[in-house]
Amino acid sequence: MLLYTLTRLAYLAMVLVVMSILVFLVTQAMPGDVASMIAGQFASKEVIDAITVKLGLDQPLIVQYGRWAAGILQGDLGRSLVLEQPVAPILMEALSRSLVLAVVALAVVTVIGIGAGVLAAVRRGRMADQMVSGVSYLGIAVPDFFWAIVLVLIFGSYLKWLPTGGYAPLADGFVPWASHLVLPVVTLVLMLIARIARLTRSSMIDVLQTNYVKYARAKGLPEKVVIVRHALRNALLPTITVLAIDFGLILGGVVVIETVFSFPGMGRLLLFAIQRHDLPLIQATILIISTAYCLANLAADLLYAFVNPKIRHGMGNA
Amino acid sequence: MTAASPTRAASSRSAPKRWPTSLVLGIALLAPLLVVAVAGPWLAPYPYDEMNIMSRLQPPGPDFWFGTDEYGRDVFSRTLVGTTNSLVMGVAATAISLLVGVPLGLVAGYGRGRTDEIIMRCMDVLMSFPPILLGILVLAVTPPALWKAVVAIGIVYVPQVVRLTRAITLELMQEEFITAARLRGESTAYILFHEILPNIWPPLAVESSLRVVFAILLGAALSFIGMGAQPPSSDWGLMISEARPFVEQAPWIALCPGLAMGITVIGINLLGDGLRAVLDPRNTGGH
Amino acid sequence: MVKRLVARAVLSAFLLSGTALAAQAAGTLKVAVDSNLNTLDPAKMKGGQEYVAAYLLFNGLTAIAADMTLKPDLAERWEHSADLKTWTFFLKKGVKFHSGREMDAEDVLATITRIQDKATGSTARVNFEIVESMKAVDSHTVEFTLKSPYSGFAELFGERQARIVPRDALDTLASNPVGTGPFQFVSFAPGDRMVVKRNPTYFEAGLPKLDEVVIRILPETASQVAALTTGELDLAWNLPPEAVDKVKATSNLKAEAVPTSTWDGVIMNGTTKPFDDVRVRRAVATALDKQAITQIALFGYGTPTHSPIPPSHPYFNKDLPIAKGDPAAAKKMLAEAGYPNGFEVTLYTPAGRATRERLGLAVRELLKPAGITVNVQRVPFDVFLKDIEGKAGFYIDGFFSRPTIDTSVYPWYHSRGSWNAALWNYSNPAMDKLLDGARQASSEEEAKKLYGEVQALAVQDAPGVIPYVINHVNGVSARVQGFTSHPMMFLDLRNVSVGQ
Repeated sequence: MLLYTLTRLAYLAMVLVVMSILVFLVTQAMPGDVASMIAGQFASKEVIDAITVKLGLDQPLIVQYGRWAAGILQGDLGRSLVLEQPVAPILMEALSRSLVLAVVALAVVTVIGIGAGVLAAVRRGRMADQMVSGVSYLGIAVPDFFWAIVLVLIFGSYLKWLPTGGYAPLADGFVPWASHLVLPVVTLVLMLIARIARLTRSSMIDVLQTNYVKYARAKGLPEKVVIVRHALRNALLPTITVLAIDFGLILGGVVVIETVFSFPGMGRLLLFAIQRHDLPLIQATILIISTAYCLANLAADLLYAFVNPKIRHGMGNA
Repeated sequence: MTAASPTRAASSRSAPKRWPTSLVLGIALLAPLLVVAVAGPWLAPYPYDEMNIMSRLQPPGPDFWFGTDEYGRDVFSRTLVGTTNSLVMGVAATAISLLVGVPLGLVAGYGRGRTDEIIMRCMDVLMSFPPILLGILVLAVTPPALWKAVVAIGIVYVPQVVRLTRAITLELMQEEFITAARLRGESTAYILFHEILPNIWPPLAVESSLRVVFAILLGAALSFIGMGAQPPSSDWGLMISEARPFVEQAPWIALCPGLAMGITVIGINLLGDGLRAVLDPRNTGGH
Repeated sequence: MVKRLVARAVLSAFLLSGTALAAQAAGTLKVAVDSNLNTLDPAKMKGGQEYVAAYLLFNGLTAIAADMTLKPDLAERWEHSADLKTWTFFLKKGVKFHSGREMDAEDVLATITRIQDKATGSTARVNFEIVESMKAVDSHTVEFTLKSPYSGFAELFGERQARIVPRDALDTLASNPVGTGPFQFVSFAPGDRMVVKRNPTYFEAGLPKLDEVVIRILPETASQVAALTTGELDLAWNLPPEAVDKVKATSNLKAEAVPTSTWDGVIMNGTTKPFDDVRVRRAVATALDKQAITQIALFGYGTPTHSPIPPSHPYFNKDLPIAKGDPAAAKKMLAEAGYPNGFEVTLYTPAGRATRERLGLAVRELLKPAGITVNVQRVPFDVFLKDIEGKAGFYIDGFFSRPTIDTSVYPWYHSRGSWNAALWNYSNPAMDKLLDGARQASSEEEAKKLYGEVQALAVQDAPGVIPYVINHVNGVSARVQGFTSHPMMFLDLRNVSVGQ
């Protein structure tokens, strides 16, 4: 298992290097340029050229990439051209906020999704099962931003229970902090819960039919103990791997959610950077989100391999 | 289901006695949508881009069934016309993934070794981006337009198609009829196109129906953040995005396209579930 | 005069004694702006939300008051030579930067030198191209020598970018701004919020009244209005027009509106086909119904106009009719110009500017009956700046209010005007003569007459169509006292306090 993990990590490092080159090249190919963005409306050519030289944007691409990559390896993500500040602290602050969203959403999805899945499996074919299927279908039928707008409409505009946008630092108090998280988290949960509930349900049904569970029942153990101790423990393994994948998906999905809720995280930072053509910021943001995404996927693979030892001896890219 | 090999040519499979409910429901939902998608512009009571300043933000009523938006445009007409956009986007993007992905997957699976290695490593790099991020990255290079979003989404889903095709191809390579064909001395092209390709379609069709859904949702998300369809076109994602400032005064502008999108996605999902039951019985018991 | 000064001193002493008490009651003001502040360095600022920060943290030598008159700010007075070429500014003494150091003439020189430096990339650079030389006469006197006479020179120091900054902290201004303003910088989290607190040594005694201002970045209009309603916010700066009705209808909120000379325009580049033909430009102008456009783009929260001179200004030409939109006449003009069947053209709009995007779609719709097929292409703002502005043939652009009529008109319509060549490439000797004449006008009547002709000529030659000037509206909670909207869209919070 250790060898497998190390191999996968080494491979991930390679993928990340290629990815960083790709990110660098693509961002270089973007139209518009930061010098004219900084110089603003009606700047003359000399002004733009002066800024270009000042920022080192006239150097050959390979030199620029080399400088950039060397910086990253030393933990220096560069300087935002527009904000005129080092990228790393800005990015870390945004990342920490997005991570709070992701972690809370994932926790809620885990608890409710698995609970609903178990309920549906135990009450297979009955009301509860139908309801879980119905709700989970609804959750994935419309895009997350649509749910976001519906939630804003209900809880923000009509009921006025919750703030519909922005962020409050924890320093402002727990309640303001938490209340700003509720709607984005609920939206993410709606997006993810269907898959978890359905997956838990089907693996629960499979497990409930195994001899192992039948034997436990035959022993006369209470149904609750059978379900929680025997069935659930085995049924959860595939669910957990999917949760790891979902974590990566959330990090991508925040681009849209954060826009709707004016939430100052990674997603909005990326869009901001793209709009202002702030190359170092775009590059660093994409690199960080993608790395986190890859790590989440790797975690899913490793978990899966841990559960299912056959994989370890198979192909690298299971 | 028994272990009967699903990999024989489609003709040899016994037809199911009854169509699954999900397939029937899916077709029932999608059939009217297809009609709308084709005939939308003619069915719509108003041109999708006709502004009428005297009646902006009107609630649904006899003149405007779904109300009007901030320019006084008929939301019903725009939603109808948007159907075409969404379906075409979903199907075209999926077609692009298939056109690029299936050959690559076939080559990787059949060629194995070096070829396989190179193709799959490239796919791994593409898959190291979250889908929407890859879409943004592709689109950020050029001024946004709907067709570019379609291409971007197509590219985003290529790796998944390649992986699936390759996996099935690898599996098929173990089958006797392929070995037999090889022993007969058939050409590679013959084996790829006459033996393998026909057997890939059933699982690929199921996969593709899901891809269409993902493509529609991803396309809507890209339009939503301004990188897909451009105003004044009547794309659902764009409509919802443009409706945001007015959501309280005029919720119908956002709700109608959202509802339409919900129906479409549920319809295609049901169709996919149904197709799976019919075409790819291996997976019916599972998730 | 002396009497008034004494009265003011007494008043301020009185106010000062009350500050400790008042400050406690005044508390924190929570303000929303609609997009991120890219920089906190005033020389590099370009967006309205950044100017909000500029006026909280910094001062100019002069200030443009809410009634559009010029007031002393860091300069207590100024004088100019008879030929309008030598300008001397006398700085207030004892004004301290937030760092504690006293502001002096060297800081003013450093500020202007930096704006003039091309590598800084300040949009105010063109303003100061007129400066031949400058020097510090003594520690609190600065003298500027101009290349040509210019009566509006003092106004330039009330402009947004010309905030006086400390010469020893120039490189850190973008992230840690130090100024002389009523508030001093506490923190800035890009995309989220900026926090500033009361400057205890602010030179205007008794001001500001607030202890703290939190500027929150909330791009979603719906969120802004909801937060105003629930009291999470006290003030929404520059409310988008579509939200104004909602704010007006809410009992604990006010919509503070003021007419401005901020405008959006349909630009027709005179060096590109078919807009090199004045008949085509005129046809476009004739087809556009300005009242309808104001409705579509601004929901009526603006006023149709001829040029950047707003209808609220005495120089506005009232005898000139506002275009009502006559597609039939436009068609005829197009036929004369050789386009009997109209033509097809791409109209570029910058993404993310809602009023300009709506203006673009309105133009597309209104030109249809005239036979002109318009394809609207929305482009990201950086692409817009690089590839569209000044280069494309047909696009939507817009500009903030300028302090004087001369600075509002001259740079756009004079053939040597600084914006002209980078916008629509318009040149008419008659126009140049009018504008040059207006600069030297000896009386208000003469200036009014000349600017009246400028407007008529601007409409006739139609280098672009300026359909409206915008109303600047702030959404304000009823708890907020002492706030008025500024026609330059500045956020002046010196006299503001928050009740309970």
